[in-house]
Amino acid sequence: MLKFIAQVFLLWVIYSLSIWVVKTSHIPLPGSVLGMIILFVLLSTGVIKEQWLTAATTPLLKHLTFFFIPIAVELMQWGDLFVQNGYLLFLPLVISSLVALFATGGIVQLLTTSSNNDGMN
Amino acid sequence: MNSPTMTAFTIILTVVLYIISRKIWLKTQNALLAPLLLSTTAIIIIFHYSGITYEQYKPGKSIMTLLLGPATVGLALPLYQNRRILLDTFIPILVGIVCGSIATVTTAVLLAKWSGLDSMLVKSIATKSITAPIAIDISRIIGGDPAIAVAFVVFTGTLGSMIGAGFLSLCKITDPVARGIAMGVTAHGQGTATILHEGQTQGAMSGVAMALVAIFTSFVAPFFIPLLLK
Repeated sequence: MLKFIAQVFLLWVIYSLSIWVVKTSHIPLPGSVLGMIILFVLLSTGVIKEQWLTAATTPLLKHLTFFFIPIAVELMQWGDLFVQNGYLLFLPLVISSLVALFATGGIVQLLTTSSNNDGMN
Repeated sequence: MNSPTMTAFTIILTVVLYIISRKIWLKTQNALLAPLLLSTTAIIIIFHYSGITYEQYKPGKSIMTLLLGPATVGLALPLYQNRRILLDTFIPILVGIVCGSIATVTTAVLLAKWSGLDSMLVKSIATKSITAPIAIDISRIIGGDPAIAVAFVVFTGTLGSMIGAGFLSLCKITDPVARGIAMGVTAHGQGTATILHEGQTQGAMSGVAMALVAIFTSFVAPFFIPLLLK
């Protein structure tokens, strides 16, 4: 438990620092994304070791869904908007998803088969 | 009424419903019974019939989401663990992600705009293929609504988990790397969990794609979305 708290604190420090940087520099980037990039760089350069974080990230990422419940509950305030416009939302969401699957999958397949890249298995 | 008791009650209710819905989902493995969908619906129904307002839920919400920021930063860890795959297939991943996300965001935003939808809804639809914690942040920046963004994210993730693999096969996209990246770009974490059943390569690719799409979109969306809305 102590390990968990200490590791969460480390994540929190990176997160707060990123929020501060984003705020003071007015870069239109989410603090969380900057924090992710910073952490990735710190891990890659060996400043932070993977095992310093796994006691926190394993349970946090496993239960990441939990955090979205309180956020999604706000939808109760948008009830009418959804009831009235729900059917209009359906088509853009479905079509754009099919486009994403087809475009991404098609392009990557074309690139990987033409270069006959291996070594990822 | 807005008391500590109410706050404690709403937190306990949320945690208990999460635990129950997670158990149900682990047993059934049905994308339509994903914990977020199930518990959010249950909470809204309970609040609706017991007269609890969203305002009364807000203090509890602040406490419950305290760790979301640090957890999101932690997403760097799985990306780091998959760095080999990322480096080995850097170009396909990069091109796939850039083309795929631009194609899907453009389609979603333009279709939504042409349907005459409210501009707030159109902005919130832009982040529908991004993992929820980052979709929330980006939607705030571009003028969407975080809760609606989450709804779109979950809808897209659920749809992608249900039809993604089948649709890819239908399109003759059989390469494991391509299938993984396509699922990550389209259906973020939910897609990753689903395509992981096909194999390790697909799952790892999807996870890497999901993280990179989120980063790419964070950089591009604040400039690109206003352009589409003109």
